[in-house]
Amino acid sequence: MTTEEYDTEMDYSDSDCGDPGYEDYYNVHPWDGEGDNDIDNDQSRRDPEYAVYDCLRIEEVERLLNEDVESLSNSLHITPSLAKVLLHAHNWALQDIIAKYRTNASSLFINSKIKPLPPLDSLSGLKSQRSGLCSVCVAIQSAEKFSTLTCGHSFCKDCWCMHFEVQISQGISTGISCMAQDCNVLAPEDFVLSLLTKPNMRERYQQFAFCDYVKSHPQLRFCPGPNCQMIMRSKEQRAKRVMCSSCKTCDLIRNCNNFSFRCGIDYHAPTDCNTMKKWLTKCADDSETANYISAHTKDCPKCHICIEKNGGCNHMQCYNCKYDFCWMCLGDWKAHGSEYYVCSRYKENPNIAHESVLAQAREALKKYLHYYERWENHSKSLKLEEQTLEAIKMQINKKVMNYSGTWIDWQHLFAAASLLTRCRYTLQYTYPYAYYMEPGPRKELFEYQQAQLEAEIEDLSWKIEHAETTNRGDLENQMDIAEKRRVTLLKDFLEV
Amino acid sequence: MAALPRRIIKETQRLMQEPVPGISAVPDDTNARYFHVIVTGPEDSPFEGGLFKLELFLPEDYPMSAPKVRFITKIYHPNIDRLGRICLDILKDKWSPALQIRTVLLSIQALLSAPNPDDPLANDVAELWKVNESEAIRNAKEWTRRYAMDN
Ligand SMILES: [Zn+2]
Ligand SMILES: [Zn+2]
Ligand SMILES: [Zn+2]
Ligand SMILES: [Zn+2]
Ligand SMILES: [Zn+2]
Ligand SMILES: [Zn+2]
Repeated sequence: MTTEEYDTEMDYSDSDCGDPGYEDYYNVHPWDGEGDNDIDNDQSRRDPEYAVYDCLRIEEVERLLNEDVESLSNSLHITPSLAKVLLHAHNWALQDIIAKYRTNASSLFINSKIKPLPPLDSLSGLKSQRSGLCSVCVAIQSAEKFSTLTCGHSFCKDCWCMHFEVQISQGISTGISCMAQDCNVLAPEDFVLSLLTKPNMRERYQQFAFCDYVKSHPQLRFCPGPNCQMIMRSKEQRAKRVMCSSCKTCDLIRNCNNFSFRCGIDYHAPTDCNTMKKWLTKCADDSETANYISAHTKDCPKCHICIEKNGGCNHMQCYNCKYDFCWMCLGDWKAHGSEYYVCSRYKENPNIAHESVLAQAREALKKYLHYYERWENHSKSLKLEEQTLEAIKMQINKKVMNYSGTWIDWQHLFAAASLLTRCRYTLQYTYPYAYYMEPGPRKELFEYQQAQLEAEIEDLSWKIEHAETTNRGDLENQMDIAEKRRVTLLKDFLEV
Repeated sequence: MAALPRRIIKETQRLMQEPVPGISAVPDDTNARYFHVIVTGPEDSPFEGGLFKLELFLPEDYPMSAPKVRFITKIYHPNIDRLGRICLDILKDKWSPALQIRTVLLSIQALLSAPNPDDPLANDVAELWKVNESEAIRNAKEWTRRYAMDN
C-alpha cells in the first residue's frame, strides 16, 4: 500500500504519521551553518557515523549559490553574471574575492578573465565594429547587429550565437571565451543568454554551467549514484562515509574538491568500499550456486510442515506445532536467547589446509554460502519489515478510528520500526565485512558483537510484530539496547 | 549541400590571389571545403628540399570549429604521428574563429622549423629528439629524402 492511498483514505498527513524509513536516520543532522565545533567533536565521539552533511536537491543548491552571487554582486556593484565568473574562478571563496578586489580590482578582473591583459594585442574585433565588418563571417553589417564583450572585442550577433552553440555542443559553458585571437576573456552568463536563440541550447548551457559551479564549489559534490540528481554538501575535513538520502548510495565526502574517490554503492557501514566491491562481484559471480538457498519456504524442523516466512523476524514459530526455531539455522530458538548466539558465526574447519583440493573448494563455497545466506536474508527481512510497517500503519489507523488511543499513543511503534530498519541495515552489511576478515581475536570480537546485535534485532523485530501484546516500556527498552549494540559495533570497526 | 559561407569564399580567393610563400592550398574541384595542400620544407630545417602533401578540411561549423588538417606525406617529426595527425594548439583548444586557413598553414610551417619534443604526439620520435638530437635530425633528413623528394 502506498502512502498516497493512505492519505486519500484518511485525513492524516505524512508528517502526522511519521513514515520513517532508514534514510531519515542517516540524514538527521541538520546543516548547521557555522557549526559549533565542541558539539561536533562531542557528537562524533558518541556516534561513529556522525558527519555534518546535507543531501540537497538542485533547486536548493541553486538557491544557495544565488545567495553568494547576490551578496558578491551587491558588495562589488557588478552584475550577477560577473559575480558568477568571479566565484567560479575562485572556488566560491566570497571573502577572498572581496579582499582581492580591495587590494587590486583590475588584477582581480584580469586574473578572472573578465578583463583582457593590457596591452590589447589583437585588434581584429575592435576594428570590425568601426568598419561594420564582422571579421568572422566577413560580412558588412549595421552597428546594431554587433555585440561587444567586456574585452572590447565586437562581432556580429549571429557569429557569437554560432560560436556559443558549437562550444555548448562540446559541453563547454562557463569556459566559453571570446572569439578574437589570443583573447582569453570569458563570456559571462548574461552575455551568452542574450545571444543564444534556441531554447534547447539555452537550457543545455544552464545545465552545464550549474554542473561547473557545483564542481568548482569545495563543499558540494554530485551524488555518485546512477541517475541520482542529489548534491551532497559537507564541511568535513576528514573523509567521511555518508549515504545519499535519495538513492542510498555511499559516498566519501570531505571539504575538498580534488578528492577523486567515488564509491557509488549502496551505503554499507561497517564494510569499507573496496571490500564491498569485492563482495558484490563475488555475489554476482556465485549467484547461481547461491540461488537455491534463497527460497522463501522451509520445513519446520520438528513437524516438517512447510512454513513460509512472511515477516522480517528470524524467530519463527511453527503455526502447526508451535515450535520456536531459528529461520537461519533451524536450531531451537531458546538456545539463541542465551549469552553467546552462535547462529551468525561461521565455524572454519581448522584442518582445512590438509584436506583435498575438492574438499577445500567445498569448504570455500560453504563458507561463502554461510555469509551470503545471512546477507541475503537480512536484505529480505528489510523488505518484509517495510511491509510490516505498512501493516502497522493500517492497524493503528483502525485503532484510532475506533477511539482506542490517539495517534500520539502509537508513535513509538513507528520509531521502533525505523530503528529496527536502521539496525538491520547495519547488520546486513556486517556480513561482507566478516567474510573477508582474517581469523583471529579481532574477528572473534567482531562476530561476538555481530551476534549480540543480531539477537537484539530479532528480539526487537519479534516485539514489533507482536506489538499488540508487547508492553511499551519493554519495547522502548529493547530499542535502546539494539541501538547501543549497533553503535558499539560501528565504533569498534568502522573505518573509512 | 548548403551554400558556401562568404567567409570561406573570401579566404579561398585570398589564398589564390596572394599565396603564402612556400605553401600552396587548392580547393578540390568537387568539394570547396576540401583543400589539397603542399608545404615546402623550411630552409635550415631537416625537412629542407622536401615537398609535403597535406589535406585540409573545413567542417560544417567552420570557422566556429577548427579546420581538420593531416599530413599525407610521411614525415619524421615529434609533433606529427604515423597517421599524419598534427599536435598543434590552435587546431585544438586554442582555436579561435578569428583564425584563418592561412594562419593554420603558417603555424604548420613554423612547426617544421621548430619541432617541440616536449609536447609530443609521436612518442618514440620525441624521445629520440630529446636524448639524441643529431640522430633524430639524421632520421628526419633521411625520411625527407625518401618520402618527400621524388614526385
Ligand atoms: Zn576579446
Ligand atoms: Zn559575423
Ligand atoms: Zn543519490
Ligand atoms: Zn562505499
Ligand atoms: Zn512444526
Ligand atoms: Zn539460528
